Amino acid sequence: MSGFVLKRLGFAVITLIAVLTIVFFIVRILPGDPAMVILGDQASQQSIDLLRKRLGLDRPMIVQYFDFMSGVAIGDWGVSMVSGRPVISEVLKVLPATLELTFAALILGAVIGVPLGVWAAISRNTIVDYLLRLASLLGLSSPAFVSAVLLLFAFAIYLPWFPVISSGRGTSLGARMNDLALPAINLGLIMAAYITRVARSAMLEVLGQDYVRTAKAKGISFFAIIVRHCLRNTMIPVVTVVGLYLGILIGNSVLTEIVFNRPGLGRLIVGALFQRDYTMLQGMMVIYTLLVVVVNLLTDLTYGLIDPRIKYS
Amino acid sequence: MKRLGLKSTVLATATALISSLGMTSSIAFAKQTTLNIGMASADAGKLDPHIATTTPDKGLLHWMFNGLVRITPGQSNPGLIEPDIASSWTTSDDGLTWVFTMRDDVECHGEYGNLDAEDVVFSLRRSSNKEQSSFSGDFAAFKSIEATGDYEVTITLSNPIPSLLGTLVPYHGGNIVCKDAVEALGEGYERSPIGTGPFMFAEYQPQQYVRLVSNPEYFRGEPKIKEIFYRYIPSDASRDLAFQSGEIDMIYGRQDQTWVERIKKLPGTKVAIMSPGEMSMISLNKTVAPLDDIRVRKAVAHSIDRERMVMFKGQDVALPAVSVVPEGYLGYTANVPKYEFSVEKAKALLSDAGYPNGVTIKAIHTSLPGMLSTMEALQSLLRDSGINLEIEVVEHATFHEQIRKDMSQVTHYSAARFPVADTYLTQFFHSNSIPLKPTAVTNFSHCDVADAEIEAARTEPDPDKQLKLWATAQQKIGEEVCAVPIYQNLQLWAWKDTLNLGFEVKGSLNLSPAITEISHFTE
Repeated sequence: MSGFVLKRLGFAVITLIAVLTIVFFIVRILPGDPAMVILGDQASQQSIDLLRKRLGLDRPMIVQYFDFMSGVAIGDWGVSMVSGRPVISEVLKVLPATLELTFAALILGAVIGVPLGVWAAISRNTIVDYLLRLASLLGLSSPAFVSAVLLLFAFAIYLPWFPVISSGRGTSLGARMNDLALPAINLGLIMAAYITRVARSAMLEVLGQDYVRTAKAKGISFFAIIVRHCLRNTMIPVVTVVGLYLGILIGNSVLTEIVFNRPGLGRLIVGALFQRDYTMLQGMMVIYTLLVVVVNLLTDLTYGLIDPRIKYS
Repeated sequence: MKRLGLKSTVLATATALISSLGMTSSIAFAKQTTLNIGMASADAGKLDPHIATTTPDKGLLHWMFNGLVRITPGQSNPGLIEPDIASSWTTSDDGLTWVFTMRDDVECHGEYGNLDAEDVVFSLRRSSNKEQSSFSGDFAAFKSIEATGDYEVTITLSNPIPSLLGTLVPYHGGNIVCKDAVEALGEGYERSPIGTGPFMFAEYQPQQYVRLVSNPEYFRGEPKIKEIFYRYIPSDASRDLAFQSGEIDMIYGRQDQTWVERIKKLPGTKVAIMSPGEMSMISLNKTVAPLDDIRVRKAVAHSIDRERMVMFKGQDVALPAVSVVPEGYLGYTANVPKYEFSVEKAKALLSDAGYPNGVTIKAIHTSLPGMLSTMEALQSLLRDSGINLEIEVVEHATFHEQIRKDMSQVTHYSAARFPVADTYLTQFFHSNSIPLKPTAVTNFSHCDVADAEIEAARTEPDPDKQLKLWATAQQKIGEEVCAVPIYQNLQLWAWKDTLNLGFEVKGSLNLSPAITEISHFTE
């Protein structure tokens, strides 16, 4: 298995170089001048040109590229063009908040979504199934920022159980959980809607298998059939889509971060894009690529835990 | 060990309970000393006062810095300038030499010591250096800045500038920085600014807040408010809800009538509508057909119903614009050509110009909702006169880049400037400010009809003559229809009525209410 892991990490390096190269050139082709954004609309053209020179933006693009890549190779991701703060420290400051939110949403989504999906499959074509499928559809259709604002109205204003500003800065576990609750519920419910549908489909497929019919014929209780024989086989496709969705979730949490005012990678990257902060964007891409690679690797390794027939060499 | 008897235990418990009640009572009545402010921004930008130009950054730095002089807190009128770091000043008869006598009790934040003339000289030279400052253009007439005593600074001008004091208020380049701090911190200065103001930088959390603490050495006295959390809350809904729930004491408002009406209904809330307003104006590029024909430009002017535009925006938050210089600015005049709303006149002008069936003009415009809604409303008004305004919507940074590349026939701009006519006229209507020139700023109309008046007014020592020159400039620009002013969008803030700022707030150059050493909570 270690060989498998090393091979995947090797591919990750190639992926990283390709992603960075593409991002490097795409952001510089985009219209919008970082020097103008930094200095504001009252700055003269002379001031803007001087700042471009100071930031090294007047150099040929290929020179900027090799300068950047050689920095990445030694762990120097540069400083933000807007704030002047090191990219790596800015990213590391907000990364824990993103990971915290993402995994809380994942756990909530799985804890709610898997049982509901199984229940929907077992109750196929009954009122329970229809209601669960409708709820799942609503969850998938609702924009994250709409559900976020509704949650705030309900549980921060009318029932003041949670704060509006989920700063993630609480020092005690209780305070952090309090801050995390609403944003995690917001993302978790969306994830639960997704997992419910996938779990339902996977369970229906498994329920139609011959070994399930055999187990029923042998008189094994329905509960035992579901838990002991079906559930584990259902998890392979569920783990696949959760792994895929996790990568998307890390990036798409920006709306939740904005509404709940949480720090996070999503907000950082959107802010960097609007401000044409090239170095911050490039640094963010390194992080995202690594995260997606790690998540995909963990997903693949999880298969082996679920299905002992899967071996890695 | 002797155990406490039951009686003693009960007595001790009762005493503890009573004491805790007393403590609770005193805590309940202790006044709040931490101020939480919600700002419409995703994060801090550059916190160097000689570079920061965005509303959120300027609003924050406002409370950390002083100038040689300042505008009375709560006001934005440059006629209300008073001493700040300088206790007095004199000027030579020819207006070219200004001598400022400083206070000797101004201390830099932290361990950077007493502020003296060397610091002020360093600061003003830094402000006037185009490599270090976004505002170097404001100091073009500064010939020399010297320390002529430990606490005396002499500024010599190459030509008289009657608005010199305006350049020295803590707004843009007038913010005084401490030499030792700038030199010690280097590039780190913009991440932890050091000033002399009532509040000092303490902490920055990315995407969350900047924390300021009171300056115990402040020369006007230690502030009653001990801590300010300047929180970055980009979502309007979240900011309003946080204010409603009590997590935030003061918020930056959305420039919208519905916002004013909703927030006013919240109990215990004070809403401030502040000047200077941001002038919303459309510049018409008179070098490009069909706008090179003055009749077409006049037709555009006649097509715009300002009263309806103000109603669209909100009567509490917008004022109809008359001149190309915002009302309230020093040098503003209402005596300019007025193009009353008349669809018939607009159509007649277009027909004379050879467009009896209408004309198409194009605009590149930002996707910012506040500005885009205005442009869409204008589009609808223009359509009635047969003027088809095609709007190409682009993202905000792209908008700024493209209009500065002179790519738009019609440019909608909304901005506030230092409230003196010269600033607005120079940046928007002097030929030096035309896009693609090295000295370009924001003259998107390519206007050049009032250059002589603008330049003469800038150096005119007689205030009455200066006002006349500015008035003439506005009249000429109006006659040429370089631009059509629409309305002035005022600044909106709200705060809890338990927060007493210490003065009535009518305006603020830095676009955030002044929070000084006398501001305090009443509960």
